[in-house]
Amino acid sequence: MSFFLPLAHALVARKDLPVPAWLFAWGASLVLIVSFFALSAGWRKPRFEDEKWRPLDERFSRALLGYPVQVLCGLIGIFLLGFSIYAGLHGTEAPDRNFALTFIFVTAWLGFPFFSVIFGDIFRPFNPWRAVGRAVGGAFGLVAGQGSAHLRYPERLGRWPAAIGLLSVVWLEVIYGTSGGVAVGLSPHACAVAALVYSAYTLVMMGLFGVEKWCETGEIFSVYFGMFSQLGGFGVRDGRLGRRLPLAASTHWATVPGSAAVVIASIASTSFDGAQEGALKDAIIQTFEWLSETGLSLTASLRLADTIFMAICFVGVGLVYLIGVRGMSTVRGAPPVKELRRGFAHTLIPIAFAYLVAHYFSLFVFQEQAQFGYLLSDPLGTATTDLFGTANNGIDFKVLSANAIWYVQVGALVIGHVVGLTLAHDRAITYWGNYRQAARSQYWMLAVMVAFTCFGLYLLSVANA
Amino acid sequence: MNSNTTRVVAGIAVVAVAVVLFAVLRDDGKSDNEKVEEQTKTEHTGANGAPATTTIVVDKEGKPVGGIAQLTYNEGEQVRFKVESGVSDEVHMHGYDIGKDVKAGGSVTFDFPATLEGVFEAELEDRKEQILELTVNP
Repeated sequence: MSFFLPLAHALVARKDLPVPAWLFAWGASLVLIVSFFALSAGWRKPRFEDEKWRPLDERFSRALLGYPVQVLCGLIGIFLLGFSIYAGLHGTEAPDRNFALTFIFVTAWLGFPFFSVIFGDIFRPFNPWRAVGRAVGGAFGLVAGQGSAHLRYPERLGRWPAAIGLLSVVWLEVIYGTSGGVAVGLSPHACAVAALVYSAYTLVMMGLFGVEKWCETGEIFSVYFGMFSQLGGFGVRDGRLGRRLPLAASTHWATVPGSAAVVIASIASTSFDGAQEGALKDAIIQTFEWLSETGLSLTASLRLADTIFMAICFVGVGLVYLIGVRGMSTVRGAPPVKELRRGFAHTLIPIAFAYLVAHYFSLFVFQEQAQFGYLLSDPLGTATTDLFGTANNGIDFKVLSANAIWYVQVGALVIGHVVGLTLAHDRAITYWGNYRQAARSQYWMLAVMVAFTCFGLYLLSVANA
Repeated sequence: MNSNTTRVVAGIAVVAVAVVLFAVLRDDGKSDNEKVEEQTKTEHTGANGAPATTTIVVDKEGKPVGGIAQLTYNEGEQVRFKVESGVSDEVHMHGYDIGKDVKAGGSVTFDFPATLEGVFEAELEDRKEQILELTVNP
């Protein structure tokens, strides 16, 4: 008896073709060349430790950060979350026809990272839970005449709740939706229920530890999107909007414990999603068959097999990073391992972003046509509404040729690699004032980055094979 | 200064070697592609040169016999396949968005040009059962 694992994302009617061998070779060679150059042509003074933040025009800043805009953005966020939950509960069960899945897992889940790396933290004003939390906190203050008291957040936990949360979101998206041993994708109803549960959990946590504290450490979406926003060129300082040196803000991001786990979880979950239908497919099927033979139900077997391999991805990506850190600690004049582990975590953010672009860029371009086409006019998928006259619009798969997708995928990985190396080199110069020692330590990070980038290329070249 | 020059020279040497490697590997890639083309051409033409039609048989449980069928074409070629179904359902070719109803014991034929690149699935729409994976290479 054989089993089939069809499309895990029930959203997509189309999958990317694997990157051809010659492009794989081009990409990998380019990565090696770039790396050699990085070793030989490094700068000797850190350039990214200072954000070089410069305020934007004050009126502009005040208008954008003022209360009316904050309230408006908060309301938009709450409305979109509420509407997604409503559509999930009351709309069609066809995943691709329901507003909820595309909005949550494509428009928001991919859209915020894509735009945050340019503009900075744009999720913060739209965060529906933060908006509710602040409104409740403000109302409490008015009534009680004092601010609300919070428990002290255990600092040791740091961003671990968000790291585990991030894995859970991806688990829900790509693993949970199975039926009788076949991956069918998450149903809109399950997605809406999950959003309700998560909302309740988040509001309780915000009540316990404070809205901003929880957004910084535990609220999955704030931490995850916030991580990518560190690469962006705009930021708020002392209530004022300003421009900053792109990438520079990331150098201070990983000071909170568990930050490395967040970026590793991001790389690992994207890897798993990319590998489950290609590189890991056979291994997953074997484990699945073995588990189902032990008497487990088909659904449980498939979920468990997937979960095991997702965990392996997390541990594997983490190990590669930790080996790099260990290696660096052997270079004379190295700071303690703990410091190194934290100190280089941000250098993986560009890699995590490159993985996202490589794996989801085409999905985003195609599915957003649905989002702003038929899903906008017929959000419940019941074919009874046509709000904007676009209910019958389809997805034009011709907007991206296979070649264009391949070049974007390989280009993203190579650029992510270069940016990662840049940040790592910069950090090494900060730790080892001596250029020679810094360069020596970077052989290790170079190996880590080459491993991730080539692994990413490999995943693309065997996708759906 | 001196060691810097050495590094730059070394860097250029690496580039030169890599460019040669590219050329070699790229050529290989092309011949690979050609091989694939030949294969697909033979796959889709019958013994006397007439276009062959793949038949996908769906059993009475609504499952494809022999697993999900795999068809590979190059862009511009004509996609042809026939579905003989043991159940009543709609056969839906995703991406191309072509749906055809089939009755239990009946069959439907698909015949359309491969205009979209990528990997697409055809499924029994009501059962959400995938029966075909269609790959269209550029």
